[in-house]
Amino acid sequence: MSRRARHARRDGGLPNRRGPVAAALGVTGELLLTAGLLVLLYVVYVLWGTGIQTGRAQDELREQTIENWSDPVDAGVAPVDPAETDLGDGYAVLRIPTLGDDWEWVVVQGVELSDLARGPGHYDDTAGPGELGNISIAGHRAGHGAPFADLDRIEVGDTVEVETAAGTWTYTIDESARIIEPTDTWVVDPVPGQGAGAEPTERRITLTTCHPRYGSSQRMYVSGVLTAGEEV
Amino acid sequence: MYAWVWRRLPGPWPVRALAALVLVAAIVLVLFLWGFPWFEETFGLNDVTVG
Repeated sequence: MSRRARHARRDGGLPNRRGPVAAALGVTGELLLTAGLLVLLYVVYVLWGTGIQTGRAQDELREQTIENWSDPVDAGVAPVDPAETDLGDGYAVLRIPTLGDDWEWVVVQGVELSDLARGPGHYDDTAGPGELGNISIAGHRAGHGAPFADLDRIEVGDTVEVETAAGTWTYTIDESARIIEPTDTWVVDPVPGQGAGAEPTERRITLTTCHPRYGSSQRMYVSGVLTAGEEV
Repeated sequence: MYAWVWRRLPGPWPVRALAALVLVAAIVLVLFLWGFPWFEETFGLNDVTVG
């Protein structure tokens, strides 16, 4: 195509005279560019977009949950029994001082992706705070506010606090971050590693997240035992 | 593809540019609200639970 023809086409004067091969290459190039943009956008979504949704959900949960706990009568609702929390609603408040004095998340009931998009989630078939067994909580490590981004920084002897309307329980970590496979459900057993039927004698906590941080081919967990708070 | 869209937008170029921006914003919004969440859930790219 001559320079003049190209000019003419840009002005809308002449019809497109590109050959079929050139046209196909052009479209392929644009499709590849589009695919690249989509991948970049997805990264933006995971690292930033999901955090906005989660931040909003946490604000809402704080209002609904914590404020109702402090004065249920004022709020016009019945005191909340954590065990009866609906899936996706505020279940407890989690604090891990090692990760920062202001590190505080409202844990929701349930571990479906829709629950975890709102904050860390309580495996709803595991024990409650202070109960015999193993209260287990999952959280994102990348995106969705990444509550458990630094779970690997928690060391043996660090504390994890769980608060509900009924009180506060402190667990002390006795197993720092370990890598496991996605199928290793034993970590959330009432007695870790001894099957769902085992009779628990300890009051434990287990936190799970993904590994590596920006993937999910494996899982990571930390675990601890109750050291303060009323035994339930 | 993009040239085809551009040619079909009405009006002088500032109007076309604005229309193109609105179009892009709408597509990004749809992706963020529905497209990407679906993709993430379907392909389990961000699973944090065992089981």
